[in-house]
Amino acid sequence: MSHATSRTVPAAHGEPAGLDNRVVVGGTALTWRTLPDVRLPEPAAALADSGRDALAAARHHATHGTELLLTTLSRVDDTMRADLRDSGFTVTTLRDGVPESVPPARPRPAEPGRLWLLTSGSTGRPKRVGHTLESLTTVRGTQAGRTWLCPYAPGSYAWWQVVTLSLTQPGQDLVVVEPGELDDWPAIAAAHGVDAASGTPTFWRRTIYRDGAALSRVPLRQITLGGEPVDQAILDQLRELFPAARISWIYASSEVGASIVVHDGQAGFPVRWLDQAAAGRPTLSVRDEELVISSPYHGVGLDGPVRTGDRVRIEGDRVLITGRLDSDEINVGGSKASAGAVRDVLTAHPAVAWARVTGRRAPLLGRMVVADVVLTPGAEQPDEAALVRWCADRLPEHAVPRRIRVLTEIPVKETLKSDV
Amino acid sequence: MNQLTRSQIRDLMEQVLKNQGKVLPDDDAADLREIGFRSLDFSELALRVEDETGEELNFDAPGLRRIATVGDVLDFLLQLQQQ
Repeated sequence: MSHATSRTVPAAHGEPAGLDNRVVVGGTALTWRTLPDVRLPEPAAALADSGRDALAAARHHATHGTELLLTTLSRVDDTMRADLRDSGFTVTTLRDGVPESVPPARPRPAEPGRLWLLTSGSTGRPKRVGHTLESLTTVRGTQAGRTWLCPYAPGSYAWWQVVTLSLTQPGQDLVVVEPGELDDWPAIAAAHGVDAASGTPTFWRRTIYRDGAALSRVPLRQITLGGEPVDQAILDQLRELFPAARISWIYASSEVGASIVVHDGQAGFPVRWLDQAAAGRPTLSVRDEELVISSPYHGVGLDGPVRTGDRVRIEGDRVLITGRLDSDEINVGGSKASAGAVRDVLTAHPAVAWARVTGRRAPLLGRMVVADVVLTPGAEQPDEAALVRWCADRLPEHAVPRRIRVLTEIPVKETLKSDV
Repeated sequence: MNQLTRSQIRDLMEQVLKNQGKVLPDDDAADLREIGFRSLDFSELALRVEDETGEELNFDAPGLRRIATVGDVLDFLLQLQQQ
């Protein structure tokens, strides 16, 4: 059963400060104020069909404080819909501004101001993490006026980061790229004057790989990377393309919020930042090679030290985040290799545009390090033996990938991450 | 099932050693320690056989045995393909 809802919504938040910022979506320039109005029940699980629908739902929440879980139509299967309805949500599909709602199986009172994010979860089954607009807003100081690219999937933590910035700060415009437009984003960004963009390292690598010349025509003054381990090679490539831009990487997650921001153009963060407790700021620690964060921007129920599941290694005066603990460590006959460290060596090769490093079942040793790479177009193309030698000159013997497969395209998921 | 011949496995073994800057002698009786063919090389060779045949080798099946010469490696991988 589905029906358009007309349940009343209490006013809770009021007008966001960025309401008159420009919002370009689907090629049309609007403002937050002139986005189509959408009426949502509460608590609502809004499944947006397009970037415009998602922005309209976000503005509705910012204005009314409606309890909201926002995600894309494609992310939610029948089991998840049933689960959301069991949890008291009205499941509302938004297509071209038109809501179609299915009422909750177990109605409950709404929690005003609550925002829910769906994360991938350690079991692979999405889980809900509770936030508010306040806990998702991490850029608070007055910023120079910028036009931001938003390439992320609606409702993801990274999407909310860009959206809250534009909603809450006057002068922060937004250009939204729909998933189908992702390959052509530099042209769209150049046409609409985008001068700030945030994306995963995979997003940036893929863009440079597809058309670095088109990227260099985007007048970027702020480049942000996050969502995956950020290696020195991609920072250097972006610096070469944009010598004057500020290049930042950010460590943020739905669990602990934005906890690390680095602007010095170097991979990792300074060792001296570890175990520095300061009011209102996250405390960063390392326990058994795992990054542990106590953050004031954590999700609901996640206060105190949170084990991030991310593996770190200390190299000189920097703490490098190498990848997920459960997939970064490859045990090769009792010797441990870090997939992230091997990946960094491969991507430092001038002809390697992208690399994925994994462990593969092998006789005698249990597992062996193997890799997939995408080569930079136009560069002198090394063969497998040359890449193996490159790694052998820079890594312990057990960590050298012995099988290196060359792919023709950088694989990317909806989150703009690779499985690295 | 797509199986490699002894000669094809020998070619792969030669490639593994070549990538390490080493040479595979013609003599099947050559001692693996003397030519520097070690566990990592053996494992790589097994992965190459799997990649060529598209089949995963079952290393649990034959049980442990002594592999000391080039001929032992070729015989062992030939036998594994037939499991």
